[in-house]
Amino acid sequence: MKTKWIMGSMAVVLATGLAGCSGSSKSEQTTLRIAMGSPGEGLIKVWEDIAKQFESQHKDIKVEFTYQKDDTYKYIGLPNLLSGKNAPDLYFEWAGVRLNNRIQDGYAADISEKLKTSGLGDQFEEGSFNGMKFDGKTYMIPTAGDVTNVIYYNKQIFNTLGLEPPTTWEQFLDVSEKVKAANITPIVVGNKEMWPAGNWIGHLITRVVGEQAFDDAMQMKQPFNSPDFVNAYNYVKTLWDSGYINDSINAIADNEADMLFFNGKAAMHPIGSWLVPTAEEEAPEFEMGYFNTPAMPDGKGNQDSVIGVLTGMVVNKNSKLIDEAIDFMKLYSSAESSKKLSEAGAVPITKDGIDKAAMNPLSSSMNDLLQGASGVVSPPDMGYNIEIANALYLATSQVLSGARTPGAALAELDNSIAPLKK
Amino acid sequence: MSHKSKSAYLFVAPAVLLFAFTILIPIVMTFAFSFYDWNGFGAMTFIGFDNYARAFHDHVYWNSYWHILIYIIATVFLEVLVGLCLAGLITMGRKGSSLFRIAFFTPVMLPMIVVSYLWKFVYNSDFGMLNSVLTGIGLESWTRVWLGNPDTALIAICLVSGWVYAGFYMTIFYSGIQRIPKDVYESAYLDGASEWTIFTKIKFPMIRSLVDTGIMLCVLTGFQAFDLFYVMTNGGPYNSTEIVTTYLVKVVFNNMSIGYGSALAVIMTLVIAIIGLLAGKLQRKDNTLEY
Repeated sequence: MKTKWIMGSMAVVLATGLAGCSGSSKSEQTTLRIAMGSPGEGLIKVWEDIAKQFESQHKDIKVEFTYQKDDTYKYIGLPNLLSGKNAPDLYFEWAGVRLNNRIQDGYAADISEKLKTSGLGDQFEEGSFNGMKFDGKTYMIPTAGDVTNVIYYNKQIFNTLGLEPPTTWEQFLDVSEKVKAANITPIVVGNKEMWPAGNWIGHLITRVVGEQAFDDAMQMKQPFNSPDFVNAYNYVKTLWDSGYINDSINAIADNEADMLFFNGKAAMHPIGSWLVPTAEEEAPEFEMGYFNTPAMPDGKGNQDSVIGVLTGMVVNKNSKLIDEAIDFMKLYSSAESSKKLSEAGAVPITKDGIDKAAMNPLSSSMNDLLQGASGVVSPPDMGYNIEIANALYLATSQVLSGARTPGAALAELDNSIAPLKK
Repeated sequence: MSHKSKSAYLFVAPAVLLFAFTILIPIVMTFAFSFYDWNGFGAMTFIGFDNYARAFHDHVYWNSYWHILIYIIATVFLEVLVGLCLAGLITMGRKGSSLFRIAFFTPVMLPMIVVSYLWKFVYNSDFGMLNSVLTGIGLESWTRVWLGNPDTALIAICLVSGWVYAGFYMTIFYSGIQRIPKDVYESAYLDGASEWTIFTKIKFPMIRSLVDTGIMLCVLTGFQAFDLFYVMTNGGPYNSTEIVTTYLVKVVFNNMSIGYGSALAVIMTLVIAIIGLLAGKLQRKDNTLEY
């Protein structure tokens, strides 16, 4: 059974790899290649619409798309495509550490000048370029943004108990205590896969230890087991010890926790911006609000930071069609395209063409939160070595459900990632 | 002569090639990968035995063997032993035993993935059947987060495995018992033997070789276990139900360390081979039974 599974996955990997290698065989390049994780049928239609429009304006160029399964694209597909013969001219990427890696590897063109001269840069707010600028140069055209964690709350429960969304850690504990006293689970987390709490607590840790210290630990420049990290985990431990977290935290997945939250079994639910469309579909009547991770006492990090990731398209430095790629993105970012994208269910972040009134107010306010943030923290599994991120997630799940003391969990974490040190 | 042998090669070529491409080459490649630091697409760096050295210090990996051992011991009892008892019961010739035969066999016909999801609901701590029943009969203090608690998760999974495969082994033992000649029972009844004596002195000894095979199957398929663990806990909470296969998938597909994963797979192959050899040595040579 196991071998079948592995072989099946390998076949998928191989097939996508091969698909990436094949393509047009024309010698002179007249094909603009665009690669991305699959955005879904509705959006693929919009992309292809835009491509048709682009082709009618550039008679000598043909647009070719490569869509891959998200996970495949993220870890295997894109690196394969970039190092392959018919590398994409324009490709989807996550801003932050991942984009920086592409720049270091020589696959991202500096487009600062082109953004100015083509006017493409003016189609976005300044904040939309968060995490896309390195050494004052811009390397990415933003297409969307995801806040990967805020804390949602059930408005009805909060109103009944007369509670206000907390902004500081003390208020957060106070709110949790009052909810608990009313016999409702204060916070529900579905942490079976360990990233939901890992992501949330990752943000909390950066608030306590500071972004630089967090970055150093994630890159193995400093050990995790330090007084600041222990301090951060002690806050986390409080949540479990006081009984604010659902008992079933380790047994249920994120979507099961979503359902418990929608059913009013819990008052608060930390998860990413994607909960809004889920709520629209699963519980249209449900009234919820959200607040950002509360400010931590004596935190060394930016207490207004937002955890999230902007995504966008990168122009390949080795492409011969850099200007055309910029032209394409100009078309994509136009008010007309943004309107089409919104209708297909995307949440574009261009200045024009977005009908805020038609958008879910929570979605648009979260877009504003991300763009207005004075600091954006990358989710641990987004920018760093995935093994270190997974080890951190394991430690977090142990502390958050009372299985290990902060010190023991951090020591084990350092121990388990030690072999990764080169 | 030489012409003759050439055509012989031609005839075996399809089978050999098929074997080579589907089994031999992957095995050799896995062995080769295990000496490299490789993420599946980028540059491969030769690192000698570093992956193996890392594996020997990886306590999650070694604990996963411990979990497999617990799982195998539990399944030998829950599947083979229970299956044997069920087979003994349904061959007592009481009324309605065929109904029970079907009932016990039904779970075997369900795909394992369906069983896994089904039991995930049963064990669910918020609205699951098990906790609801316990609460209903006044045993609220017995309710647990069955799959979220390291103390209960592994046993909970073993029980599901038993629920499925007890019926499977029962069917095998049942057919074995059916082959025992009727006159053996008749003379036993005439001697005044009870059902229990018949079970322990006739039914069980006469299908002894089947039971041995059953235990062997349990041990070897124990190492193949995957879907049940993957769906129900995926190794959690905190690796307390991590078995070798789920850990391998994590290392290879979540962490993208093909090299390290290959080393773990090679070690697993060796462990299974050694167990197989030992089991062969330990098996009793005299399987004859005389009355």
